Amino acid sequence: MKGVRKLFPEEFCRRYEQFIPDFDLFLEAMLTPLPKVFRINTLKAEPEEVMPLLAELDPEPLSYLRFAYTVKNGRGLGRQLAHFLGLIYIQEAASMIPPVVLDPQPGDKVLDLAAAPGSKTTQMAALMRNRGLIIANDLSLERLRGLIGNVDRMGCLNVVVCRADGIVLGRKLAASCDRVLVDAPCSSEGTIRKTEEALRRWSVRGIANFSRVQKGLICAGYQALRPGGQMVYSTCTIAPEENEAVVAYLLKRFPEAEILPVELDNFVMRPALTEWEGDTFPSAIRRCRRILPQDNNTEAFFVALIRKPDDVTS
Amino acid sequence: MSPVEFLRNRFGLPEEWLQGLETITEQATVFIGTPEVIRFNAVKPLRRGLRLCRIFPHSIKPTTFAMQLLGREATANQIEVDEQQAKQLINGGTVEIAADVENGFVLISWRSFIIGVGIYKRPVLKSCIPRFRPVD
Repeated sequence: MKGVRKLFPEEFCRRYEQFIPDFDLFLEAMLTPLPKVFRINTLKAEPEEVMPLLAELDPEPLSYLRFAYTVKNGRGLGRQLAHFLGLIYIQEAASMIPPVVLDPQPGDKVLDLAAAPGSKTTQMAALMRNRGLIIANDLSLERLRGLIGNVDRMGCLNVVVCRADGIVLGRKLAASCDRVLVDAPCSSEGTIRKTEEALRRWSVRGIANFSRVQKGLICAGYQALRPGGQMVYSTCTIAPEENEAVVAYLLKRFPEAEILPVELDNFVMRPALTEWEGDTFPSAIRRCRRILPQDNNTEAFFVALIRKPDDVTS
Repeated sequence: MSPVEFLRNRFGLPEEWLQGLETITEQATVFIGTPEVIRFNAVKPLRRGLRLCRIFPHSIKPTTFAMQLLGREATANQIEVDEQQAKQLINGGTVEIAADVENGFVLISWRSFIIGVGIYKRPVLKSCIPRFRPVD
């Protein structure tokens, strides 16, 4: 196991073995290649129409996500006709969880504050059966091109793509959205299984920078919610500064915000932390969930479900 | 005749085609989306819904992505291809095929799916499908 530890920065191990009791299993899982997962795009076809096209790949359904499948050998999945036609979308399983937790309904007005490249946007469009409105926003023009490409391929009629500062957009849409997704830009520690790039870039300073941006975005997202509306804050990272501390910041700014429990059948999630390196977080934050790679064979993720109370005036 | 009427007539689409959706024309491109998408004005978006078609001086060209979604009920000017021909067209090629359709823009179908838009000039079917990534 010492050999495995050598592959990670010393500080990375010091930080995370404090709250991951099965830390060795965690490190092993972080070095194991991810299974290839896709979901069927129900905007374009029914599963019965799509599955025969992929029969040779022998897809197996995921028990915890409707319309999602894993394949043992996923090489070439992106070159299948079904993929070209937008009948499937290749998406990591944990990345499909935030939209499922947010549960947008047909006809809703949804803000996706950091939307590119559009995996979750297009998943929400399918959950909403192409009705209502998704405002899919991002700042990077290059990433927005990818988002528009995915919106086209998946056939989303309920998406507007915007390029705005998230904080300004939150203000412009104040108290008007039924649902908000803040899948925040992050240090992406959870994606080390997919790309070692995240490990090469890793630094505590980087985490602090992301945390600042995330605090602005979570507040902007909350401001955009109508009274009674719900928001999901998610990251694909492990650092508590980018997760629990960001939600704690929201609660400090907006003490009335409610943290709701997050649950999903057949999927293991761990409670969030209530303290980290000397900081204590409000007990409600324990309702947020951490997704660890060794539990469901996915990337690592963090998910918080937040509600704006009905009686809030703005 | 509006672009939507033109497309409905050309491809034999039902009267209720695009019911519940709205369009907006910007710079000779017709976009289609939900009413909320078309009327959204909080900020100027980069894109609203899907591009339905491009308006040219003497023709209207439907887009592949819109027709993949909205063209499955077409009953006219549609050419059915086999899997090998489908891949050839998606990869930017042409196929020779005898089809009982008018020359001009056609919908290309494979199994029950519309794979995209092509231009037919008997007997050559040329792909107008945007290059994406090669299909095996």
